[in-house]
Amino acid sequence: MGEIKSDKILIITTISNSYPGADAVGQSHLEYDPDTYIIRLPDPVLLPEDFYLKAYSKGIAGIIVMSSGSDCPYEGAYERLAQRVQKIYDKMKENGISISRLKLTTICTVCKAAFLKEIKGMRENIEKLKAVKDAS
Amino acid sequence: MTDKSAEQSRDFYRQDVKVGVYVCHCGGNISDIIDVEDVARDLSDYPGVSVSRNYIFMCSSTGQGLVEEDIRTKGINRVVIAACSPALHELTFRGTLERAGLNPYLYEHVNIREQGSWVHKSNKKAATEKSKKLIRAAVEKICRQNPLEAIRVNAARSIAVIGGGVAGMSAALSLGRQGFNVYLIEKENRLGGKLNSLWKAYPSEEDGEKTLEELEKDISSLNNINIYLESEVKKIDGYVGNFSVEIVKKGSPEKIKVGALVITTGYVHYIPFEGEYAYKTTKKVVTLPDFIEMLKDDEKNGSLKNVKSVAFIHCVGSRQNPSLDKPQKDEKVNDYCSRTCCTSALFRIKQLLEKYPDKKIFDFYRDIRTYGLQHESYYEELSKKGVLFFRYPEDTRPQVEVKGDKLEVKSKDILTWNEEVSVEVDMVVLLTGVMPADISVIVDDLKLPIGSDRFILEAHPKLRPVEVPNLGIYIGGTAQAPMDLLEAAYGGKAAASKASMLLSKGEISLDPFVASVNPELCDGCEKCIGECLYPGAIVMENGKAKVIPALCKGCGACAAVCHTRAINVAGYSLEQIDAMVEAISKE
Ligand SMILES: Cc1cc2nc3c(=O)[nH]c(=O)nc-3n(C[C@H](O)[C@H](O)[C@H](O)COP(=O)(O)OP(=O)(O)OC[C@H]3O[C@@H](n4cnc5c(N)ncnc54)[C@H](O)[C@@H]3O)c2cc1C
Ligand code: SF4
Ligand code: SF4
Repeated sequence: MGEIKSDKILIITTISNSYPGADAVGQSHLEYDPDTYIIRLPDPVLLPEDFYLKAYSKGIAGIIVMSSGSDCPYEGAYERLAQRVQKIYDKMKENGISISRLKLTTICTVCKAAFLKEIKGMRENIEKLKAVKDAS
Repeated sequence: MTDKSAEQSRDFYRQDVKVGVYVCHCGGNISDIIDVEDVARDLSDYPGVSVSRNYIFMCSSTGQGLVEEDIRTKGINRVVIAACSPALHELTFRGTLERAGLNPYLYEHVNIREQGSWVHKSNKKAATEKSKKLIRAAVEKICRQNPLEAIRVNAARSIAVIGGGVAGMSAALSLGRQGFNVYLIEKENRLGGKLNSLWKAYPSEEDGEKTLEELEKDISSLNNINIYLESEVKKIDGYVGNFSVEIVKKGSPEKIKVGALVITTGYVHYIPFEGEYAYKTTKKVVTLPDFIEMLKDDEKNGSLKNVKSVAFIHCVGSRQNPSLDKPQKDEKVNDYCSRTCCTSALFRIKQLLEKYPDKKIFDFYRDIRTYGLQHESYYEELSKKGVLFFRYPEDTRPQVEVKGDKLEVKSKDILTWNEEVSVEVDMVVLLTGVMPADISVIVDDLKLPIGSDRFILEAHPKLRPVEVPNLGIYIGGTAQAPMDLLEAAYGGKAAASKASMLLSKGEISLDPFVASVNPELCDGCEKCIGECLYPGAIVMENGKAKVIPALCKGCGACAAVCHTRAINVAGYSLEQIDAMVEAISKE
C-alpha cells in the first residue's frame, strides 16, 4: 500500500437518515472541514470490502460510514454492515493501513452535533498519522 | 486531436453521452460563497460535458426551460444539476427531463448549498474547489447511467386494514367512501380499540361510546367494508399490489388478496410489576385506565365518594432508566414518553374535582407534558383549585408504602429544593404508559422496521410520513407512536389516502432503484440469495440469479457479496460509485 498523500475524507451517507442529517447541519449553517465528500447511497451495506481498499489506494485519507443504525429502514442491514467493517479492518491491517482511517457510525436526520464530531475526529486521526510519519 | 477528444475516444461510456451541467446561484445562497461561474467554466472542459451553465434560479421555470431547450436543441442526454438538496428538487428536475422527452433517471443532483455554501462560509476557495470535484464525480456517475423504467405491477383495488381502533376505523371509512374493497380486521369482538374504555375523553368531553357508535354506523352503511371481528392475521406474503393475507376468523381460516395494507394495531397499556409502587400488594394502587373505569362507575354508583385523598404518580412505565427501572422481556426499559398520560390524568382530576371539590389531590410529576392546543389549561385550572404538585427528580422514584388502611407516598421535590415530602392518601393512581401491541407475526412476515421503542418506524417523518420502506404498507395511529384520538384518526386517514393514491389506477409504478442481475456475469453461486435481507427477492432461474423487482427494497446487500459484480442496484452500481471516488481523489 502506497503512502496516502491527500487529506480527503469520504463520507458515505444513507438516503433515509445521514444524508438528511448532513442537510440539517447545512440548514443550521454549522461549518465543517471542506475537504469532505459526501456520497449518498440507499445503504452502505451495498459497498464490498474491496471498495474501501481501492478508495485508500486512490488516495482517500479517511472514510466515515454514516449508517442509519437502529433507525435503518432495511432490517438486518446494519448487522451485516458492522460484520463487514470488521473484515475490512482486518484487511486494512494486512495492507498496512491504519484502521483509524475508517469509522463506522450511525447518524440520524437530526444528529447535527454527532455529524460534526465524526468529521473532527477523523481529521484528528489523519493529522495524528501524518505527525507520526513526519516524526519517523 | 485535442486532449479532450483523445480522452473521449478512449472512454467507452462517453461515446454517445452528452452531459449538460447546470450550476445554480440560488439567489446568492450559493453564489455568495461558491464561485459558480468558475465552477461552470471548469466543468465545460470536463470529458463528456457538452454544455455547462450557471443560472440564478435553476428551479424557476426559466431555469428548467434552459435544461429543456438544451435537451431539445443540443442533444443533451444526461443532466447534472448542482443546487440545493435533492430532497427539495429531485422530483422537480426529473419532471423537467421528462417534459423534454428524456428519461427522467438520466439526471444526477449535486448538493452545493446545504452541503456546500452553507457549511463552508469562511472558506470560499475550498468550497468552490470542492463543488468542482463533486460535480465531476456526478458527471462520471451519470455517464455510466442507463435509462431506467419505472417498474409496473398490476394491483388489486382492495386493502386490508389490520386493527379496528379509531385509526383503523377512520382509515377503513375513508377507503370505503372512495369505493375500495376494504377488509377491516379486528382481533376483539367489537371495533373501537381503546375508544371502548375512554368514557368522556379530552378535549371535547364527548363520550367515547357515542363517537364509536357514530363510526360504526358510518362503516356499516358501506357494503364494500368487510368487517372481520375476533380475527387474527396468521400469515402475510406477496408484495405491493399483490399481498396475500391469511386470517383466522372465529377459528376458521380464510385467505384474502389485497393490493395494500394499512397497519393500525395500536397500543397496550403498561402493566406495572408486582410491588412496583406497591401495585398488586393492595387494591388501593390502581392504574390510570383503572381510574377512568372507576370515574365512569362513580357517575352511576358514587363509588369514589369515600375516597378523600388521591395521589397521582406520572411516568410509570415511561421515560424509564435501566439503572432504576425493571426491563421488559426484551431486556429493554421503556425510555420514551407516552405523551397522552399527563393530559389524560389532569383531565380526569378535573372531572373528579368538578363532582367532589373537597377531595385532596397530590400530583407527583417529572415534567408536565400537556402537548396539544390548550391542554396546558388543565394544569393551570388545577393549580388554582388547590391540587398540590410535586416534581420528583429524574434519578429518583416516589415510594409508595401501605400504612394501615392508608398509603404513604414519599418523594423528593425539586420545587422545594429537593426537600423530602410525604403524604398520606386513600388511593394512588399510576400514570401507566403505553407500549405497542404485539404484532410479531406481521412484523416478521413483512420485515417491518421497528424503532428502539418497539413502535413501527416511519420511513421518514417529513419526506415519507405514515410509510415504511416496504411499498404498499402504511401505518397509522398508535402502532406508530403514542398519540391522542384525533391524531390517531388523522394518522389512519393519512395512511388511507396514501394507499388510495397507490391503488387508484389498478396498476402501480415503482421506483426503478432495485437490484438487477447481468446474466452474462452471473455464475450462479447464490451468494446474493444468502445475503439478501428479503426472502424471495432473488430467485434462481436457469442457473442464474434473478431479482423480483417488487420484492427487492434496493438496499444492495447482495451487490457487496457478488464476486463477479453481476448484481447491482440501479442508479447505484459499484462501477458508478468507484468512478465517483476516482473523480473525487484526483487533484
Ligand atoms: C390512559 C389513557 C387515556 C387516554 N385518554 C385520551 C383522551 O381522553 N383523549 C384522547 O384524545 N386520547 C386519549 N388517549 C389516547 C387514545 O387512547 C389513543 O390515541 C387511541 O385510542 C389510539 O387509537 P388506535 O386506533 O391507534 O389504537 P387502539 O385503540 O389501540 O386500537 C388498535 C386496535 O387494533 C387491534 N389489534 C391489535 N393487534 C391486532 C392484530 N394483530 N390483529 C387484529 N387486530 C389487532 C386492537 O384489538 C385494537 O382494537 C389516552 C391514552 C391513554 C393511555
Ligand atoms: S406524558 Fe407525562 S406522564 Fe406520560 S410519560 Fe410523558 S411526561 Fe410522563
Ligand atoms: S452473487 Fe453474483 S454471481 Fe453469484 S448468483 Fe448472485 S448475481 Fe450470480
